[in-house]
Order: sequence, then structure tokens, then C-alpha cells
Amino acid sequence: MYEFQFGPILARMPTVLQGAALTLEFAAASTCIGLLLAVLLAIGRVFGPRPVAWLVTGYVELIRNTPLLVQLYIVFFALPKAGLRLDSNQAAIVALSANLAAYAAEIIRAGLESVPRGQVEAGLSLGLRRGRIIRHVVLAPAIRAIYPALGSQFVLQILGSSLVSAIAAEELTAVSNNVMMETFRNFEVFILAGGLYLAMVLLFRGFFSATGRVLFRWAA
Amino acid sequence: MSLRDFGWNELQFLLLSVRWTVLLSLIAFLGGGTLGLLVAALRVSPSRLARWAMGVYITLFQGTPLLVQLLLFYYGTSFLGFRPDALLAAALTFTLNSAAFFGEIWRGCIEAVPRGQWDGARALGLRYVPALRLVVLPQALRIMLAPTVGYMVQIVKGTSVASLIGITELTRTAVMVNTVTFEPVRVFGTVCLVYLAICWPLSFASERIGRRLDTKRAASLGDVFRRPASRPAAGRVQPR
Amino acid sequence: MFNEGRRTVARGALGLLAAGAALMAGRQEARAQTVDELIKKGKLTVAIDTTTPPYASLDNGMQPQGYDIDLARLIGKSLGMAVEFVTVNSPGRIPALLTNRADMVVSIFSITPERAQQVAFSIPYAGQSSVLIAPKSRSIQEFKDLSGLKVAVTRGAMEDIVLTNQARTTPGIGILRFDDYPSTAQAMLSGQVDAMGGGDYGDIYLKKSASGDEFEQKFALHAFHFGVGIRRGNPDLLHWLNTFIYFNKNNGALNELSMKWRKMPLIDLPTF
Repeated sequence: MYEFQFGPILARMPTVLQGAALTLEFAAASTCIGLLLAVLLAIGRVFGPRPVAWLVTGYVELIRNTPLLVQLYIVFFALPKAGLRLDSNQAAIVALSANLAAYAAEIIRAGLESVPRGQVEAGLSLGLRRGRIIRHVVLAPAIRAIYPALGSQFVLQILGSSLVSAIAAEELTAVSNNVMMETFRNFEVFILAGGLYLAMVLLFRGFFSATGRVLFRWAA
Repeated sequence: MSLRDFGWNELQFLLLSVRWTVLLSLIAFLGGGTLGLLVAALRVSPSRLARWAMGVYITLFQGTPLLVQLLLFYYGTSFLGFRPDALLAAALTFTLNSAAFFGEIWRGCIEAVPRGQWDGARALGLRYVPALRLVVLPQALRIMLAPTVGYMVQIVKGTSVASLIGITELTRTAVMVNTVTFEPVRVFGTVCLVYLAICWPLSFASERIGRRLDTKRAASLGDVFRRPASRPAAGRVQPR
Repeated sequence: MFNEGRRTVARGALGLLAAGAALMAGRQEARAQTVDELIKKGKLTVAIDTTTPPYASLDNGMQPQGYDIDLARLIGKSLGMAVEFVTVNSPGRIPALLTNRADMVVSIFSITPERAQQVAFSIPYAGQSSVLIAPKSRSIQEFKDLSGLKVAVTRGAMEDIVLTNQARTTPGIGILRFDDYPSTAQAMLSGQVDAMGGGDYGDIYLKKSASGDEFEQKFALHAFHFGVGIRRGNPDLLHWLNTFIYFNKNNGALNELSMKWRKMPLIDLPTF
């Protein structure tokens, strides 16, 4: 019968927590970079000229219909052949950001398009300039509409970043693998890892819903 | 395994490995779909305990990475007296994981059916399961179709994670082929095309179905600025 | 009023659980302990890793081939039973035994005291060195030359253990751990690392690099021997395995395998 031994794993807790910290860094960095990119993509798709909109659509479909793991391999193993060399952590952030950008661009686009057309036409007929309409009439309500979805994107980044262990980035999953190799307490290691992921996910899910309530009180 | 060019043989090797990707996807879809229907049914059932238990189940599987679930099932389940090989571990993980997602997606669809339909069924003397099966589900099916097809894309992509426990599906085969050819651009480019060929039709179908049902959708904002109008697809938040 | 319906759902759930349990139970477990039990079971389940040529790889017909494969078949033949292979990766070898997924591991399984706390090793049936591989242009003679460099290893492999230990006394060695040998080799090929740890067969992967640079073996990390791994607490089977290896070493069968797959005579193998 199996005897649970968390001792050897708790002894390596500092390393595990470092891995969890790196997981959060990956999630935070890729969410920030990915969101910036996503806003550009969404604006390009909704307001840009036709060829730009097509390019953006192609990018979004390509990213959304191929696995993140393959995208990681391409950034880490194939880009050096094209002359762009990124280390494990950089490659992880680039691939995660590129991935998030495609999903977030769709969310932002949906948010932009959730603004009733009549309001924009009202703005146009009032003689407001395009930029002002986009900022006040479209963006402000759109951000409120998409905030919850973007919060869940950050949470999905926490989960998705577990794959970067495959390109030797030492985040939580990779560290857990290492600890398993050293201690052979397989079940305990992955229960701990799963628990840490779950804790981070629940924590940030709560955080985003709470901040969402506070930030958008004006609209309630 | 000496170094060679990326030729017909290697391409065939890659294409052959797709059967594992497809097999794992089908297992996840059929197993996860069956179990997911049960999860969804329990999630809207009158029993508070059942609803709570399914809530916990969904949170556990949606709140931890697929890879960690897979590693736990593969390496960590021996104390239960259950020792899966890589394929069984993957089949089980993907089934349980997609059951959680299907359960949650379908719960939303079932709840989108107006409450009055339940009341009507109840007035006709139908109990919970017949009411769900005969009255509510048939109406929910229409809404369920688009997100279900859409989630199949996530399933297909998710099977790539099985490469990390040594199953030679498409992604792991790509790594192996790339090691002997060192043509990463061609190898992974091909792999991307194969995934696209499987996933893009599903995405497209999902969006088409979704758009047809989405009759009340307002015209695209871009149309106001940019005429003549194009018809962008309805944006949906998909789990990854 | 929904009581009966609820019971139907519960029955459905139970049925599904039962079906799942039946599926699990239906799978044959490889947990024979003694030679007699193994013979009674009539089938030998061996864990292999087909990404470790020339010891184990897939031939053109997608069938396993190599030194380890031939040895496993020889064991089966000697016991008079069919051999069934289960594929594992390097980190999956010990779990394969501990979780009863395999009766034996025959997969370049280096004998170490750390591993012997988990599994039991037969006397060696083969041996070689793990080496540090790097481009010719890079001058590396010893561990301290690795300071400031990135070195790829396969997670849990001997090279990982040796280099991780070394990194404790030689600061500045950056170790990148990959999940399998192809990924490790790929990191070297694409220039993501400056050096890698591999078996002394490793160079056959690495004839050309991104920059056209040639690779070479710099120095031996560790010489070690491969044993057949079985579950601990199993002296009967272990004794039989040792007898089998002793016999095939003396009758030249192991030397034949070495000539066939490694193109060199069998090295001197110690016993313990």
C-alpha cells in the first residue's frame, strides 16, 4: 500500500515556489504584451483597410487552430534557423504573448462590435471626429464589456504556461518534474503542483471579479 | 537514425502519426461528451449535493493545467492500485478534462432554455430526467451545437500535450523527425498545416452554426466606417 | 417530485463508474514477482524507450529495434515466453516499474545507488560513457570551462545527475532540462545551448548544425553500466536475470549484440 510522504517535497518547497513565481511572471508578462498586441490587432481588423483586416484574420485563425506546444517549438527550435535566437524564458513569453494576442483580439473585437451602431452614427452626425468616437463612444463601454473575459485570459495564461516546461523553462511544472526525479514521490509532487495552480487560479479569478466590480461601478 | 533530408518518407511518417492525434481526439470527444452530459445534467439537477459536487469537479479540472493532470494520472496514480500506460493515462485525462468543459458549456446552454419550459414539463407531470430529456435538451441542442464543435478544436490541440509523456502523436513525431532532419521550419510548418487542416474546418463550422443562430446580432461597427459592409463572424470566448 | 429522476441519474453515474472500473480491471497488470509467477503469466512486459538509438529506435516498419530490444527478446526466449513492449521516456522508467506497468526495464538504465533505492538492478549487460558534446569551434576541456555556458540534458538521465551535481561546485553552468533525447539534441542543433550531455553514441544525431559547425565529444562525464531494472524485493527474479546475463556474456551472445549495434566488441563488464 502506498504511504504518503510529503516530507522530501516540502524540503524542496523553496524551489517549487520559485517555479510558481516564474509561472506568474510568464502569465503577467505575456498578458501585458499580448493585450497590447491584441488591441492593435482588433483595431486593425475592425477599422483597418481590407488587406489589414485579412492579415489579422489569417494570424488569428492560424494561432487559434494550432497547438500552443507546436507554437513553442517553432519559436524555440525553428526561429534560430531564421536568425532569431531567444532563450527559454524569452521564447516562452513570445509564444505565450502571440497566443494570447489572437484570442484577446477576438474578445476585444467582439467588445468593440457590441457597441450599438446607432451610437456611432449619432456621434458621426454630431460631427465628432473618428478618434473621439472610437475613444469615448466605442472604447469606454467596450472595455467594461470585455474586462471579465480578459481577466479569464490571465488565468488561462497561468494554466497554459505549464507547457513551456517542454522548452526547458523552469516554471512550476518543470520544477515539479525535477522534484519528482529527485524524490520519486510522484503523486505528492503533482498534487502539490495542482494545488498551487488551483490556488493561483482561484486567487486571480477572485481578484479580477472584485476589481471588475470596483472599476466599473460607474456603469452599474 | 542518421541524418537525412525531409523527404517523402518523413512526410509519410508525420501523416501516419496523425492517427494517434485523431484517436485521442475521438476518445476525448466521445468519452468526455458522454460524461459531460452527465455532469451538465447533475449541474442543473434539483439535488444541491450533486450540483455542488459537479461544481467542485469542474473547478478542479478547469483550474489546473491539462499537462499537470496528465502527469498526475500517468505518474501519480499508482497508490490507487491503478497503473495506466501512457495511452490509457492520456485517454482518461482527456476524457475527464473535456467532460468538465463540456459539462460547463452545456450547463450554460441548458440554462438558456426559458425556465417556463421546465415549469410546463412539470405541469405535464414529467419528472426531472424526462423533463430534461424530452423537453429541455431538445431545445438546448440547437444552442449546444456551435460551442460543442468549437470545443472540439481545443480537444484536437490539447492532444499535443500527450507528446510530453511519450505518445508518438503528431507533435512528438515532429520533434523526432526534426532531430534526424534538422529542418525545423519545414517540419513544424507541415505540422501546423496538418493541425490547421483538422481544426480550421471545425472552427469554421462552429462559427457558421453560431452565426446562423445569432439572428439578433447588430451589424459590424467597422461597417459604419468602411462600406460596403463585410460580415465578420460572431466573436466568442473560447477556452484554450 | 424529482426523486425518481434523481435516482435514474445516480444509477447512470454508477453505471458509468462501474464501466470505467471494469475497463481498468480488464487491463492486464504486469506485476509478476517471482520467476514462477512470470512463467505462469506467460508474457514478459518490458519497458523500452525508442528514442535511444542504437539501443532502441523504430525501424522503417515502425517496429522497435536495437541492442536493448534484442536483449529483451533474448530474455523472453530464454524464459520461453512472448515479449510485450511498453514505450516510456527516460523519466518514465522507474514509474513504469513502481506502477506495475512493466516487469522489467531494458532501456539504457544506468546503475546508480540513488535509483537502487527505488528499483533493483541486475548485473551490467552493457556499458558506455556519457559524454559532453559541443561544436568543434568551442574549446571545452573540463567542467570549469562550462561556466557561463548553457548545457542541455535529458531530464532524469545520467547526464542530468552528473551535471546537476557538478553545477553545485562549479557555479555558472546553466542547465536546461528537456523531456526527451530528441528535444535535447534539437536544442543543440538549433544552437539554443552551447553544449549537451549525451551517450557516446550521441554524435550520430549531430552531423551538421545550424551554423554548419561540426560537433565532437569533448570529455567523458561518467562511465557507467546498464542493468536490467526490476521491482525491489524480488530476489528470485533478480537471481535468474544475473544468471542469464552471466551465461550470455560467456557464450558470446552479448558480444554479438555489441558488434551488431555498436560496431565494437563488448567492454569488460564488472559484476556485483
